[in-house]
Amino acid sequence: MTDESFRDASLPGGRILSGVSRRQLLAAGIGAGTAGLILPAGARAQGKPPAHPKGHAIIGFSQEPTVFNPLMPHIEVDQGVHWNLFSPLWSANEKGEFLPQLAMEVPTIANGGISKDGLTWHVKLRPGVKWHDGAPFTADDVKYTFDLINNKKFRAWLRNGFSLMQDIKVISPTEISWKMGKPYAPFASILCWTFMVPQHVLAKASDPNTAPFNNAPVGTGPFMWKERVPGDHITLTANPHFFGTGPYLEEIVFKYIPDLTVMFTQFQTGAIDYIGLQGITADHYKQAKALKDRTIVVGPAPFIESITLNLSKPQFKERAVREALYYAMDNQAIIDQIYYGLPKPSTTILPSQSWAYNPNLPKQVHDPKKAKAILDAAGWKPGAGGVREKNGVQLAFTNSTTAGNHVREEAQQLLQQNWQDIGVKMTIKNMPAAVIWGDYFNLSHYDSVMVGEDFMTGPDPDVTVYFDSNATPAKGGSGQNTMEYNNPEVDKLLLQGATTFDRPVRQKIYWKLAELIRHDLPELPIFQYATIEGTKKGLVGYIPSVYVSCNTWNVNTWYWTS
Amino acid sequence: MTRFLLRRLGQSLVLLWLVSVIGFAVLHLAPGGPLSQFTLTPGMTAAQLKLIAHQLGLDRPLPVQYWEWFSRMLVGNWGRSYRDSQPVLLVIGAHIWPTLELMVSSTIIAILLGTWVGVLGAIRRYSLFDYLATVGAMVALSIPTFWFGLVVIYIFSVKLGWLPAGNLYTIGNGSLLDYLHHLIAPSLVLALVTIAIWSRYMRAAMLEVINQDYVRTARAKGLPERMILIRHTIRNALLPMITIAGLQLPTLLSGALVTETVFTWPGMGRLFLDSISYRDYPVIMGVLMFTAVLVLVGNLFADVLYAVADPRIRLD
Amino acid sequence: MSDTTSTTAAIPATATSRRPRNRALARFARHRLALFGLCAIVALVFGCAAGPYLIAYNDLHIDIMHRFALPFSGPHILGTDQLGRDMLARLMMAGRVSLTVGFAAMLLSTVFGTLIGTIAGYFGGIVGTALMRFVDAVLCFPTIFLLLALAAFVQPTLFSITLVIAATAWMEVARVVEAQIRTLRERDFALAAEALGASDAYIMFRELIPNAIAPIVVASTLNVARAILLESYVSFLGYGIQPPTPSWGNMLNNAQEFLVSAPWLAILPGLLITLAVTGFNFLGDGLRDALDPRLDI
Repeated sequence: MTDESFRDASLPGGRILSGVSRRQLLAAGIGAGTAGLILPAGARAQGKPPAHPKGHAIIGFSQEPTVFNPLMPHIEVDQGVHWNLFSPLWSANEKGEFLPQLAMEVPTIANGGISKDGLTWHVKLRPGVKWHDGAPFTADDVKYTFDLINNKKFRAWLRNGFSLMQDIKVISPTEISWKMGKPYAPFASILCWTFMVPQHVLAKASDPNTAPFNNAPVGTGPFMWKERVPGDHITLTANPHFFGTGPYLEEIVFKYIPDLTVMFTQFQTGAIDYIGLQGITADHYKQAKALKDRTIVVGPAPFIESITLNLSKPQFKERAVREALYYAMDNQAIIDQIYYGLPKPSTTILPSQSWAYNPNLPKQVHDPKKAKAILDAAGWKPGAGGVREKNGVQLAFTNSTTAGNHVREEAQQLLQQNWQDIGVKMTIKNMPAAVIWGDYFNLSHYDSVMVGEDFMTGPDPDVTVYFDSNATPAKGGSGQNTMEYNNPEVDKLLLQGATTFDRPVRQKIYWKLAELIRHDLPELPIFQYATIEGTKKGLVGYIPSVYVSCNTWNVNTWYWTS
Repeated sequence: MTRFLLRRLGQSLVLLWLVSVIGFAVLHLAPGGPLSQFTLTPGMTAAQLKLIAHQLGLDRPLPVQYWEWFSRMLVGNWGRSYRDSQPVLLVIGAHIWPTLELMVSSTIIAILLGTWVGVLGAIRRYSLFDYLATVGAMVALSIPTFWFGLVVIYIFSVKLGWLPAGNLYTIGNGSLLDYLHHLIAPSLVLALVTIAIWSRYMRAAMLEVINQDYVRTARAKGLPERMILIRHTIRNALLPMITIAGLQLPTLLSGALVTETVFTWPGMGRLFLDSISYRDYPVIMGVLMFTAVLVLVGNLFADVLYAVADPRIRLD
Repeated sequence: MSDTTSTTAAIPATATSRRPRNRALARFARHRLALFGLCAIVALVFGCAAGPYLIAYNDLHIDIMHRFALPFSGPHILGTDQLGRDMLARLMMAGRVSLTVGFAAMLLSTVFGTLIGTIAGYFGGIVGTALMRFVDAVLCFPTIFLLLALAAFVQPTLFSITLVIAATAWMEVARVVEAQIRTLRERDFALAAEALGASDAYIMFRELIPNAIAPIVVASTLNVARAILLESYVSFLGYGIQPPTPSWGNMLNNAQEFLVSAPWLAILPGLLITLAVTGFNFLGDGLRDALDPRLDI
């Protein structure tokens, strides 16, 4: 925090300002776009960040972060901690713009960082970056990170794209290049979420899966590891040698509060300064807005809440049935009444903030009469008990979701009634999370599930894993197409989208893809999630983003104004 | 006595082994597993999940997995958590002190208050106090702990601000007073149900004893009522309570679990619930074995104490 | 002659003129609280069984535009819940589930626990040891683990949930009963019965159990409360009855979010649970007094 001139010199373009600190200029709104480091709007409007890290913030999560090696399998709240301990080569801000972090600039075909055929990558790294223990960050660490991910004995989180890497060459301590076996456009987005780990610490451990590093992590991020009380909280302190903006807080504490109602109460009493994942429930929103000294933010999230159908079940094989089911759903009532109007209706698979989002798709209409007409025309006549049937198949199915999610259960019951009105029998069959998201979901044992999914690959709109016909695990495929959706035209588009680097071309492809999926209705989208989170008044810097899993991605820019 | 103890020890070891086998089998055969939490991770594929399962050794035959876990446990290696890769014994150790704190304080409160209420209710049977105590006990038994905890927090933390809204201590302030301040609400809430149970059993036991011949004799002898109470009735009434007390140990986990959730208490109950939710097999088995040992020790202790206190019982 | 007539006159008429069953009934009838308990239970059972046929509203019909209607303020006497369903109808249908589960689970656990405890306490030796170690073994598994085990292999239906709840409650009864029987076995009346040549079954069921009735009754009344609330705990863990079927337990569970905004969603089922538990408790008190052979003297 003391070496301002050092930081200024390290910026691409190296602008050294005398007299006025760069931060003050940025705070005044000048040079907001320079050097790719953008301060949040809130900071520009209210006061300025302190010259030295001041104060602490207690961040509340309703799940416990337990994984501190960012390359290992982890859940969303873990990533929330990783953003503060580690740095990727580049990251995406809330607008989806790439910002260089450990790299000097984001490689593109235009600037030569990626070869025209997409197969050769060349990255220049930021000089002078130090790990938390003082050792210098070099290209060897980057190579080590990539090799570790590809190490078959290492429990890596995701390997998409990394398995295509060949020939990783350390050209100099600040330059690295590699070749890809196939052009893979989403890879730049995948690297947004890939944090670099230190070779000099991890290579010493006999088994990286159980290295001491996993509970005493060393990174290049804005905060350093201080302590962890298992089951309770994790404390991080400011990194005085951080290469980027901030940090402006001396200490941050990630507090684990297992219940959402209890977490809200602690937010009310001020025991926590920021209420994060899973946030404030819609039922508490009004209460939250009425709180004094609290700022409540309703932001977008990348998850689409939908009824996912198993297309191998006889009831769902006909498109007419799926269309009729969609007409019968009173989605607006779900959004307005059960969720208090906070999420936005959606009929597609990408969040509206994504550059590949198609805004021209037909909206969902609640028209039970039309639904009945479609079913009648398709030959589904009411039979025993008022339930429609055709050729011996009853239009009855189960719908499952995670037990204990009360708001979702309310929506399920409303849909149950909607479908009952058109002669369709839906039975609710909920189970605990560990059960439903195991083989029941992965191997397509379900009839239908109600789930919120993020279909993107990190910040990239590539949805191959979910919609490609070769990605059905029940049929031996390797993806997550549990719906057993099979459309050859979709397969073609997915392949094109993943191998083209030209963004406008990709956008056209993904628009067409969205049209096809909207027509086929393998899943029935209801809304795009809204996160309801809040901070104490005076804690500024919070910005929700659909390109991260957890909204503590920019705590390095948070500070107290009072 | 020694022969009895040795025999019980032998039986307990066999039991522990049986518990471990059944527990391990049930856990691994139940649907779902430690990888369910990653299913909805953006970009996750079934192939990747399969690879991770293989790396964790979960695709090996169950007896092989059991033998590896069991043989290592015998030499003190209880495995590592799937979540934070810490040794299981360390994880349990980190969580046990908060639970102990909560259990000890709530049990002391419960026994003292419960005994007093039960004894008084028995002596003054059908009086106003007895009615109120009975109805109070019924109400206490009818309110789920979670609800009571939420209401207490709402009234005393949110509205009045007298007590903190949970947590073990205020981060940054670890003084003894701070710990005690945070302990008040959860131990009272946890004690509530135990007070109700204890007072009901105590009252029934007292009523049994009060009508005994030897009490009538003592009264006829002219002994002061107080002395009869303390020397004869309460002491004898407490005997069956030993069994009840021994049974409280297994409820250590279930009872505290809900209180720990509503008061954000980082204890064993919460550890167990989270581990089950995430199917963290090594930790679940560790806590299970730990609880089993506690239960067996607790019951053994209760049986021995009962035999020592009541000469009519013979241990066989 | 006058001695015998005077002695005969001194003996209370009730002790000789009526049969034990009638004496027990008489004692029960004099126990006012027990009668109140009986009335409460009967009222609840009748209300839940017949009530839904008598009111206009369906417990399942969702009226999403009229959520959270206050009680005593409109056509819905007790208001509506978070989906606009009539609370009175739901409470009555829920009562069917909770009372059935509560009573059935209590009965199962009490009978099974008493049986195990009596046999173990009476025979002692290898039988007793084996049975008590079996009890210990089941006690070693925390409730949530037992639920996981049972729920993993059976679908959550009314029947399976009753079984599950009974399976978690019988151990306490068994241990308490075993301790009592072990003491009572050595008492004079038991030894006398044995000397008279009574069979084991007679001694166990006609001599010992009636004298151990006090803790059995306490345990069983506690178990009713536990069973009704355990059903709520089971829902909390994710293994409960599926929506939209209501039970007092899962209504309480779902009302957590609305502690401040709609407290009647929790207060109403809570009151009914309290009434049921209190009723069973007083009923149990009356039963114990009625069946206690020592009060017969």
